[in-house]
Amino acid sequence: MNTQQRAYPFTAIVGQDRMKKALILNAINPKLGGVLIRGEKGTAKSTAVRSLAVLLPGLDAIAECPFGCDPAREKRMCQECLDRLARGEEYSVHTRKTRLVELPVGATEDRVIGTLDLEHAIKKGEKKFEPGLLAAAHRGILYVDEINLLDDHIVDVLLDSAAMGVNSVEREGMSYVHPAEFILIGTMNPEEGELRPQLLDRFGLCVHIEGIADLEKRVEVVRRRAAYEHDPMEFYRLWEAEERALRERIVYARDILEKVTVSDEMLYLIAQIAIDMHVDGHRADIVMMKATQTLAALHGRGQVCEDDVREAAEMALHHRMRRKPFQKPGADEEKIAGIVSHSHYHAHEYVNAHDHHHKY
Amino acid sequence: MTTATWHKKDFYPFTAIVGQETMIKALILSGIAPSIGGLLIRGEKGTAKSTAVRALAAVLPEIEVVAGCAFNCNPAAPEHFCPDCALKAKSGIPLDVVKRPIPFVTLPLGATEDRVIGSLDMTRAVREGGRWFEPGLLAAVHRGILYVDEANLLDDSLVDIILDSAASGINVVEREGISFRHRCEFILVGTMNPEEGELRPQLLDRFGMCVAVEGIRDPDLRVQVMMLKGSYDKDSQNFVADYRDRQAELAGRMDHARTRLGHVTISDEAVMRCAELAAEASVAGHRADVAMAETARSIAAYRGASVATEDDVREAAEYVLFHRRREAPPHQAEANDRELDCNDRSDKNDRRANEQRSESRDRNPSGGHGMPDPDRSVLPEFGSETNSGETIFATGDPFPLSLIPQKKDRILRRGSGRRTVTRTPSKAGRYVFSSMERKTDDLAFDATLRAAAPHQSVREKRDVAIAVEGRDIREKRREKRIGNFIVFVVDASGSMGAAKRMIETKSAILSLLLDAYQKRDKVSMIAFKGNRAEVLLPPTNSVERAHRLLDELPTGGKTPLAAGIFSGCQLIRTHLRKDPHVVPLLILISDGKANVGIGGGNPLAEAMAAAEEIKDDARIRSVVVDVEKAGLISLGLARKLSQCMGAAYLKIEDLKADYLFDFLKIFVKSQ
Repeated sequence: MNTQQRAYPFTAIVGQDRMKKALILNAINPKLGGVLIRGEKGTAKSTAVRSLAVLLPGLDAIAECPFGCDPAREKRMCQECLDRLARGEEYSVHTRKTRLVELPVGATEDRVIGTLDLEHAIKKGEKKFEPGLLAAAHRGILYVDEINLLDDHIVDVLLDSAAMGVNSVEREGMSYVHPAEFILIGTMNPEEGELRPQLLDRFGLCVHIEGIADLEKRVEVVRRRAAYEHDPMEFYRLWEAEERALRERIVYARDILEKVTVSDEMLYLIAQIAIDMHVDGHRADIVMMKATQTLAALHGRGQVCEDDVREAAEMALHHRMRRKPFQKPGADEEKIAGIVSHSHYHAHEYVNAHDHHHKY
Repeated sequence: MTTATWHKKDFYPFTAIVGQETMIKALILSGIAPSIGGLLIRGEKGTAKSTAVRALAAVLPEIEVVAGCAFNCNPAAPEHFCPDCALKAKSGIPLDVVKRPIPFVTLPLGATEDRVIGSLDMTRAVREGGRWFEPGLLAAVHRGILYVDEANLLDDSLVDIILDSAASGINVVEREGISFRHRCEFILVGTMNPEEGELRPQLLDRFGMCVAVEGIRDPDLRVQVMMLKGSYDKDSQNFVADYRDRQAELAGRMDHARTRLGHVTISDEAVMRCAELAAEASVAGHRADVAMAETARSIAAYRGASVATEDDVREAAEYVLFHRRREAPPHQAEANDRELDCNDRSDKNDRRANEQRSESRDRNPSGGHGMPDPDRSVLPEFGSETNSGETIFATGDPFPLSLIPQKKDRILRRGSGRRTVTRTPSKAGRYVFSSMERKTDDLAFDATLRAAAPHQSVREKRDVAIAVEGRDIREKRREKRIGNFIVFVVDASGSMGAAKRMIETKSAILSLLLDAYQKRDKVSMIAFKGNRAEVLLPPTNSVERAHRLLDELPTGGKTPLAAGIFSGCQLIRTHLRKDPHVVPLLILISDGKANVGIGGGNPLAEAMAAAEEIKDDARIRSVVVDVEKAGLISLGLARKLSQCMGAAYLKIEDLKADYLFDFLKIFVKSQ
């Protein structure tokens, strides 16, 4: 983990505002349930994720704990830490950077969820759990590039832990449970195959990105990249103020997040959008609500407003819609905007609900 | 089991779940009466299925167990004691009795066989040089509830183990030099999203009850869902505390119902009613009747009555018959079991009626497949003209391919070696169990160490606790679903436009696509018309895309059959070079008529030659689906073509018929 080779600053990424926003929202509120970034290659996806980890403020962790438990949250601690507390043992706390764990497409299940510590078993004749990537990602970011190419069974395990915040291992002679709360960030190129809808639904937000068309901006991308390659430290210094400003904004948003309120009117609006957009189940509503709160916090507001709802809907619904084969791109956004502007929250018989998009 | 319970304290409270009354009630009933035989919850994603099941653990009544017993022995049933307890009892050591909540065990998706059944206790074996049994999940779940999330995705080998134990109530362990048996009676609770594929019928039948859940449409309740979830996430401790009274009340009521269940009787009329309802639904066997009576009794117990009435039976029927209901003639049984939701959409009558489809959706909003698109409900009956004189036909409704896919799978996988066992060179796939047989160098460390452990007292060791010898080596057996690769070669020429043939063809393809999705197959599509064949869809597992293309596929022009077959063959070969493990299947959908060649020869002869090419390639399996209407003049060209290709021959109607299975079986035997 050689992150000390100064990463490209998050704030220096040109364009891709929606992706950046979705990442920031998750950084503020890890309970949003991760981001799925859909889009072509070479659109700064990996760069953005890596630089996000660097941007994030450090966190306190119990130094003795392999999972880096949070000393302030006793009820989320692993069994060893709880035992340690119960025995009244001393422990030390250190501050560390947010960890970015990358899960390669070829990863095996034992590496992902952890396995029997072979060396310990042979030397001592005892079983010991050897933590895997899920353990390493606890309280950090788990980044899966090309998640649609990952073996199905690995994705299943991954999303199960992501949803529960717990990794439960019953394999290879081991029976073990440990906390695994992480921000799951996946990228995929839809041209290479889709994720199953069940799995798509587990991602809180989803953004679609594409290469920048604007010529000037494209030139800017190249220019900045060249400057960064030439002297990363110098480049970072140029952006340091912006980085700090964003970091402070995230910290502030985290602080006020708890206090952001959502009015009944906005809740009904969210429910109406979910109903009109024909999503399955209730995950969309819940994610939208959390996203609106986080958006309000990001903007330093204590109240959720209509714009937050529209923005949240765009990020939370994209991947949850039932299939509409002949829809024009952008039609979803128009429809959401339509619902928001008509926001009579008790209007049950909203006309568009039965509007069929027909081809010819 | 301390490590397994630490994280459970703040689960979302059962009593805080909004709506979903049927599911809630069914869960309560399975907590009251193990004799019902478990519960399966089917439903779309995000409908609190898993939340509800996990929450149930917190309100389960308590049972009495022998203190310190790993098998949850029941002090009141000494005849079923585990060896430890039996020994203690025999030698007159008093057994302490403690109360504990009904065990609730979640089967994690990545579980391996040794942890499910139990295995050799390695640590103790090394220390004391002997073989002791280390209990697994089946021991922990005795007298409790085994929860299987995504039950339809569970590995077959684990399913078999669980079914065996569930049926016999005993876990028999004969492995790693251990011979052990212990009681394991448990209630199986499963959740699944039918979109992801159906359950094996044997497993389905194991569940006493089955309920379907779907999202709530009422905005008020939806808002309530959000608000509750919001405050739970904000401060789960306080949230749970707020519900403590309600939780305690429910737990008390369940406990009460459980104790009195033994005294609840069922009236003769009610028993009659059970039999009647079961007969009306033409269920197979008698499991339904028994489960219905038991369910009715627990409903009565739950409401505090001492006799189950006909009303209770009627309610029970909802839970018990849901997955068992069949339409009369018994030979259709299996199909209906699997695709209950699709009954009214089935092809027996007339699939053309699209209005009917939207109607059937209304009645059936959970939509069995999940794939049919609600927004295309008003499709044109006949095709619409495009500028180029081509016609685009609508895709007919998909129909349940209940029998084909399963059997087809077996066939294909046999062809590729075996369905489930290791893909030897790649070491990919899920590690499920270990084997002594040496085939790969994929070492199963845990099993190897367990094998070595008991011998440690006599082995020479150098600074290690466990010295491993060659004969201890165990290898991993992995399970990986071998992907099929299905190439559709579709005739899109003008002749297909006649008499709605294309509508039927498209609906046949759509059905195959749905199946491909559930089996995680890769698909590719080639259409031929005019003077060439075109790869519309390069190999992908995005069935959505295939569906979209299918809908847009125009019909018209001449029939370059040879080009179609040839490019299908090419495509498969290229793909095989990239991924030699796939099992390719070419499905040619055509009437066998050809009028455009590749090289200027006789178009039909060329097509036959191209077909021979496929026959000669042993890796490729093929099926010809004949779409020629049985009319006055039947040319039977497609049949001839299938012979040249060495392909299975089907008429389009066969795709929907039950006898296809037999047909395919014969076909495979002859291979």
